[in-house]
Amino acid sequence: MKLERIILACVSLAGFANTTLAADAGKDLYTKTCAVCHAAGIAGAPRYGNAAEWQPRIATGVARLYSNAIQGTSKGMPPKGGNAEASDGDIKAAVDYMLASVKGGAAKPAPAVAAAPAKPAAAAATAAPAAAPTAAVDPSSNTSGVPAADINSFNRLLRPIGKRNPPPVEDGIHDPANDGTLALMAPLAAYGPLPKSLAGNRVNWVKAIEENKINPRWDRNDQAATPVVIDLNIVREVKGSMPDVVYPHKQHTEWLDCSNCHPAIFVPQKGANAISMAAILLGEKCGVCHGKVAFPVSECRLCHSKKKDFRPAQAQAAAAPK
Amino acid sequence: MFGKSAVQRLLLVAMALATVFLVDIDEARAEYGDVVINNYSDAAGMRPAIFPHWFHRVRFRCKVCHADLGFKFKAGGNEINMVKIIDGQFCGACHNGELAWSVENCNLCHSGKPGTPTQVHESTVQKLAPAALQKK
Ligand code: HEC
Ligand code: HEC
Ligand code: HEC
Ligand code: HEC
Ligand code: HEC
Ligand code: HEC
Ligand code: HEC
Repeated sequence: MKLERIILACVSLAGFANTTLAADAGKDLYTKTCAVCHAAGIAGAPRYGNAAEWQPRIATGVARLYSNAIQGTSKGMPPKGGNAEASDGDIKAAVDYMLASVKGGAAKPAPAVAAAPAKPAAAAATAAPAAAPTAAVDPSSNTSGVPAADINSFNRLLRPIGKRNPPPVEDGIHDPANDGTLALMAPLAAYGPLPKSLAGNRVNWVKAIEENKINPRWDRNDQAATPVVIDLNIVREVKGSMPDVVYPHKQHTEWLDCSNCHPAIFVPQKGANAISMAAILLGEKCGVCHGKVAFPVSECRLCHSKKKDFRPAQAQAAAAPK
Repeated sequence: MFGKSAVQRLLLVAMALATVFLVDIDEARAEYGDVVINNYSDAAGMRPAIFPHWFHRVRFRCKVCHADLGFKFKAGGNEINMVKIIDGQFCGACHNGELAWSVENCNLCHSGKPGTPTQVHESTVQKLAPAALQKK
């Protein structure tokens, strides 16, 4: 890959073979950004190399495909595939790269393929000066994005910091063309003083209340009403090596009414409810809230917080009859 | 019995957990807990309504909406419409020009991209769903 980069740099230095550069940029961006959806067809994305799925789209014209790839569509194609840093030229190159995978599929792609080599050349005339420095800078500045091609890259599949807590206009569900969208508050404008966490809103809501950073109302109109907090921990033993789960009533009753959980989600009796991770992941039991509004399921330690004194013989004895 | 089903279940959990982690990537980017409500909006030619949990939970505890006002824990599960809102139910209990700005600000609520389905953003289920589709 290094070697390729060097060659690539030389080639671009020579101001030569713009198409090669564009094609490589297209492949790079495809693997980095687009493949996530377009390799397996997630959410209905037309698959790389699947002519039947691209056919009807190609028929609508390559220009439309470019603009839909750049601006996104309401059916799940995010603007620029979610990679806001990519230039329009790179996006077009990635589209070309995908289209090249289905060339010769049927009669229709012919014009598209004919157009494909022509387009990058034309685009390169304007985009190449911009694209070349990006390619050159990429390996050194890891903050801007993760070069997928670099085998030593870290956090390849994690969301870059700049993409967390996006303002409504950029979040992919609000319509940027709606004037009201611009009036809405950006999460980060409110989160500044709040204690941080590693997931979800990336705000530690429990601490935010404890430290009096926020005091959300318990009654719609009466600012003075206070919650009925009970301090009752329920320990749920977990089979295997995972620490036991401590369910704390205290943190929950700060936010919720007893009737929110009892009896619809949990019978109020210790051990009376069958809870499993599978159910939680499917949005039942603790998963009614955790993984949707309260902190997400990835935060194992917050729930599995009680270390067990590990006695293997007993653990086995306990597991055997079950 | 620590039989087949238990093993299968663990496998399922492991696979699902893997997906939860792997898919913390670019495909869904909205703020955690944002709810798109689109039972009727698209059909009525309005943009879908978007309810931001983060913004409201800074001001109100869950109990206010989910116990006092009777919002069920189910995106799209409350059959909210404008008549109910104007009559002071659901969003209208607060968006009445006293506690919060009132209903004439259509575009503040109806701010979603047309065609966006009812869903809770960034939820585990939303992240698992593509994986389920993929298997087919
Ligand atoms: C989060 C998943 C996702 C990612 C990432 C993604 N796409 Fe898509 N893409 C989709 C979906 C879903 C569709 C189908 C949407 C539709 O029919 O409007 C689509 C459709 C398209 C289309 C066809 C549009 C049309 O008008 O028919 C093009 C072109 C495209 N994507 C290019 C790209 C490029 C280039 C990238 C990478 C820079 C990319 N996509 C990344 C999900 C994705
Ligand atoms: C318990 C009271 C209450 C309920 C119920 C409620 N809201 Fe609100 N909402 C508020 C308050 C208070 C504000 C802040 C108003 C202000 O800034 O003047 C607000 C603000 C908003 C905002 C603007 C956020 C921003 O970025 O400025 C939106 C959008 C919104 N609400 C949508 C909804 C929708 C949709 C519903 C119903 C599904 C709803 N609200 C139900 C109290 C409520
Ligand atoms: C977020 C959900 C939630 C809320 C809110 C909640 N509980 Fe519970 N409660 C639980 C769970 C989970 C258990 C344990 C059930 C089990 O072990 O099967 C439980 C158990 C109980 C038990 C049985 C304890 C025992 O030792 O058998 C009582 C009593 C109880 N809750 C009372 C309350 C009261 C009173 C409130 C309101 C002040 C309340 N709960 C609010 C989730 C909740
Ligand atoms: C009705 C919604 C709801 C249900 C059901 C629920 N929780 Fe929670 N939980 C919350 C909310 C809200 C918080 C506050 C923190 C947040 O929002 O991230 C919280 C906080 C917690 C905390 C405190 C974390 C800390 O930082 O102190 C733990 C632990 C927890 N939940 C475990 C559980 C377990 C285990 C279950 C299932 C037995 C469960 N929860 C069910 C809503 C819920
Ligand atoms: C919202 C709280 C919560 C979070 C977050 C959570 N768990 Fe659990 N977990 C539970 C509860 C409750 C049980 C059931 C305990 C019992 O059997 O009573 C459980 C059970 C388990 C079990 C036993 C098998 C089963 O399905 O019952 C395993 C393994 C497990 N969790 C792993 C994890 C891992 C790994 C993570 C982090 C990715 C995690 N859990 C995050 C609450 C949680
Ligand atoms: C406080 C938030 C809020 C405001 C302000 C608001 N709506 Fe709605 N509206 C909703 C919600 C929530 C729904 C249910 C959405 C769904 O299920 O599709 C809805 C549904 C609708 C529907 C379809 C259902 C029906 O009742 O016919 C129409 C049409 C509509 N709104 C028009 C408007 C218009 C016009 C305005 C401005 C005068 C407006 N809305 C202001 C929240 C709001
Ligand atoms: C201002 C009102 C309001 C407050 C405060 C509020 N919610 Fe909600 N919640 C809603 C609305 C509106 C919906 C969507 C209902 C619909 O689409 O009909 C919802 C939906 C949900 C859902 C359903 C998601 C699904 O599975 O589809 C959960 C879980 C939830 N809220 C949890 C919470 C928790 C936990 C809190 C407190 C931290 C909270 N909510 C605070 C109004 C509120």
